[in-house]
Amino acid sequence: MIKTEIYEEALFQTIKRGATEISDDVKEAFEKAIERETDVEAKKGLKATLESMELSAKRENPLCVDTGWPIFYFKVGNNCKLEGGFVELENAARRAVARATEKGYLRATMKHPLTGYDPGNNIGMNIPDFTYQFVDGDFIEISYAAKGGGSECFGGTRHRIVAFADGIKGIEKFVIESFVASARAGAVCPPSVLGIGIGGTANVAANLAKEAACLRTVGSKHPDPMFAKIEEDLYKALNSLGIGILGSGGATSVLAVNVEYAYTHIAGIACATSTNCMVARRASSRIDADGTVSKMKSPNWFGDR
Amino acid sequence: MSVYHLNGPLTDEDVKKLKLGDTVYISGECFTCRSRLQKYIFDEKHTLPFSTEGRNILIHNGPIIVKENGKWKLMSFMPTSSIRFEKWGAKSVDEWNLKMIVGKTTMGASTMAMMKEKKCVHVSPRSVSPNLWIDSIEVQDVHLYDELGRIEAAWFFKVKDLGPFIVDIDAEGNNYFDKLDGEIAERKQKALKDLGIEEDFEFTKLY
Repeated sequence: MIKTEIYEEALFQTIKRGATEISDDVKEAFEKAIERETDVEAKKGLKATLESMELSAKRENPLCVDTGWPIFYFKVGNNCKLEGGFVELENAARRAVARATEKGYLRATMKHPLTGYDPGNNIGMNIPDFTYQFVDGDFIEISYAAKGGGSECFGGTRHRIVAFADGIKGIEKFVIESFVASARAGAVCPPSVLGIGIGGTANVAANLAKEAACLRTVGSKHPDPMFAKIEEDLYKALNSLGIGILGSGGATSVLAVNVEYAYTHIAGIACATSTNCMVARRASSRIDADGTVSKMKSPNWFGDR
Repeated sequence: MSVYHLNGPLTDEDVKKLKLGDTVYISGECFTCRSRLQKYIFDEKHTLPFSTEGRNILIHNGPIIVKENGKWKLMSFMPTSSIRFEKWGAKSVDEWNLKMIVGKTTMGASTMAMMKEKKCVHVSPRSVSPNLWIDSIEVQDVHLYDELGRIEAAWFFKVKDLGPFIVDIDAEGNNYFDKLDGEIAERKQKALKDLGIEEDFEFTKLY
């Protein structure tokens, strides 16, 4: 039985880490982007961003002022036993979000959608958001992702049903057109981690896109060569556009393009995009049955990618 | 491209010399604004409880500020997307006599027209680097904290060499991103072609 105080503290530390520390894979992608950048001003911008992100870890302050929608992913062993059960896990996650907000690791960004009421702690109807994946074992893996307002609100996240008649060309055209529109003047905070969901109902495609944007290791490839080719082709195509950091010109417009898929209906192919901003915030922790908490380098949501 | 270190309050002469793509650093007194403030003033018809005369630089931003030992402490700062506030952009420039808006994602046609008329510029960052900015910002005061909340209140900042920002709308109503749009559109056609997607490709209309 994993005690409440253990998983509540692990949740809090995971939020804090996600908000204040850049992941190793994102850092590596930044370093590569700096190396290949040819535009002098864009290079300075990338360097300044990386420098600021490294200072955030030392100063324990947020990587970006917009600390985003608080989103949790739980990969749960079938025999995992939590004190108070999963209802208490979600209560503990809410308490941890409120505590992280009070400490200034998160901004009080979540508001009532109609009245604009600000509860001041990022807790409200259906927020934070929880997603579960069940596997063999008795552990739980916690991933916290912060989905930024810019990346979500300016058209970087959308869907279209593509006809089988249009196939891969239709999917790729939809993605390129969407990304160009959404990255104008830096709206989605490029260079982006672009997630693409193909197949399923529209919400399945949208969830896959979001998970591909927030939980895939930057630099990983889809194991199926057909999907890996789409990732590679779109990565090259989008980085040939000259959108650059914050849309003001430069050689790096995306840090990664990650595709995930589901089988779909004979009637059409739901295709969704989810764009994560350049800071691509997330952190993951694992709690074993004996209560041992360990930091994870990567969310492990899609296995080894 | 030139680099300018400007001191607020800004004059027409200060902003008229700025060209698209120039780099600016700003010093002086500024205030923060998000949509809740503009809605409160322009839609809900309240009076702005302070003068913008010596404070004509507006920063689109919802900062993270906590109280530590009785003093405000700025935890994080990053200019936010201006286009969201387009509805009130022209009115803000006009009624508040703004000379500079610090934001992101530039602004739309109606604000740009008013900026040209009133001589005002829009500037944006080219990085997400809160930690390189917060040491240049002193939190002086806050207005409408109870009415609008901690994030959307009007915070008064005194800034010292805050930047670099790129001039993306000049005082003549020109936009840096309009030029870039054309270049990106051309490269997009080539990228689509390289993927085997012909120029005349049309989506099968499903709805």
